[in-house]
Amino acid sequence: MATRDSLIQVSGLKKYYNKGAIKALDGVTVDINRGDVMVVIGPSGSGKSTFLRSLNLLEEPTGGSIVFDGVDITKKKMRNAEGKLVKVDVDQHRQKMGMVFQHFNLFPHMTILDNMTLAPIQVKHMDKSAAEEKALALLDRVGLKDRAGAYPIQLSGGQKQRVAIVRALAMEPEVMLFDEPTSALDPEMVGEVLEVMKQLAREGMTMVVVTHEMGFAREVGNRVLFMADGKLLEEGTPEDIFGHPQHPRLQDFLSKVL
Amino acid sequence: MFTAAGFAKTWEYIDLFKQGLVCTISLSLLTVIFGFLLALILAVMRLSNVCPFRFLGLTADGHLREQGFLTAVSRFNPISFIATVYVEIFRATPMLVQLFIIYFVVFGGVDIPSFKLFGFIRFERFLPGVVALAMNSGAYLSEIIRAGIQSIDGGQTEAARSLGLSQTQNMRFVILPQAIKNILPPIANEFVTIIKESSICYTIGVQEIMYAVTSTKGATYRIAEPLIIATVVYFCLTFPTSKIIAYFERRMSRGDKR
Repeated sequence: MATRDSLIQVSGLKKYYNKGAIKALDGVTVDINRGDVMVVIGPSGSGKSTFLRSLNLLEEPTGGSIVFDGVDITKKKMRNAEGKLVKVDVDQHRQKMGMVFQHFNLFPHMTILDNMTLAPIQVKHMDKSAAEEKALALLDRVGLKDRAGAYPIQLSGGQKQRVAIVRALAMEPEVMLFDEPTSALDPEMVGEVLEVMKQLAREGMTMVVVTHEMGFAREVGNRVLFMADGKLLEEGTPEDIFGHPQHPRLQDFLSKVL
Repeated sequence: MFTAAGFAKTWEYIDLFKQGLVCTISLSLLTVIFGFLLALILAVMRLSNVCPFRFLGLTADGHLREQGFLTAVSRFNPISFIATVYVEIFRATPMLVQLFIIYFVVFGGVDIPSFKLFGFIRFERFLPGVVALAMNSGAYLSEIIRAGIQSIDGGQTEAARSLGLSQTQNMRFVILPQAIKNILPPIANEFVTIIKESSICYTIGVQEIMYAVTSTKGATYRIAEPLIIATVVYFCLTFPTSKIIAYFERRMSRGDKR
């Protein structure tokens, strides 16, 4: 594979609960490059969601490091250019990482448009009309421009998830994290959400996707990670992982899901 | 037990009951206002994230320490601790004891200006009554506010923070607007409780409804009739109030099913 710039370097990432009795993440090391569509698969309880949520510090790791744009965001403090200790601003890093959740997590008391413009206006200090114009353009892309004035409860699951995706995109993130984005959807709505994600991938967005959609992993992913028991057991191209699985756990997993 | 003559005799003192009604209402209103302000402060204190010893939990290079005594110390939040102690003490001791401590001990050595509200309420007794009731209901109301805030799905905070909103912005734009819906009905119910509990203030000579009962009893040697009147007055005060609250509660929950 051609060398590409590395965006996030994860090394030795650990997340322990109960003083180490439960190891949700047990030393995960991986480089995420710009333009990667990295799909994380594995049995439930394997730590794949914890891994994804650690990337923007929704889970605080117990050990290891995540270097994003040259800053180790697992540390509370860093040395700046003059060598002084300064606070690591997590909010600033989170702006650059869009996240899409299994349960959408739209804000139910706001219209779709307000959902989308809240962060651009409050965090990026865009003015309202510019933020709304941008939000409408994004909604148009996913075919929901006419629902801008609706409330989340009036939308179907698939529509909500499409809104959640463009809400994250409105902040112009450098990477998009997807935490089982289709798991809470009715089967007939899975396709419309995957279609939006495929389109994003084609446009070159860096994506990390935790999913059970093996078809998506095979078709869209350029790298597939297999996790079990908090460990990264196998990594490779979709052809490697699905065509020639090496690890017995992966072979066992694939025989169950395919 | 009750005689027509007894009622006729009691009726001669009906002005005392009218005064008692005015006193009870002003006592309850002031209590709920000050109690709510106190509760807001307490809830913010309890949910605050002020850890002055946080630096003790960091290693020399700015990483979070995994566990141990220093980690526990670094998580200590004195602001939240003080509020918790306050709430627990006020919820675990009898209202009567609190009232007596505030009236006899706290205000015992203080010169309160003695004048008469509305021409009859003795301020030097009314004020300690309001203070005691407000301090007591503040403890209960702060629990209501805290529960209302914590009842909002954690996914909302995760979505807001992943968009780059700070904790304060998350509270202001996402959590509080949703929590207020859950908080208002129990606060209104607490108001009904305060109306009833304010009767305890007759023990320190605040001229509310129960005070009218004891005064009338002293003058007429009748107890059943004054109590009947007091019961009717309290009922006419609290029953419509709770019906009005229930009406608004229904209207608000209809808003949810938009």
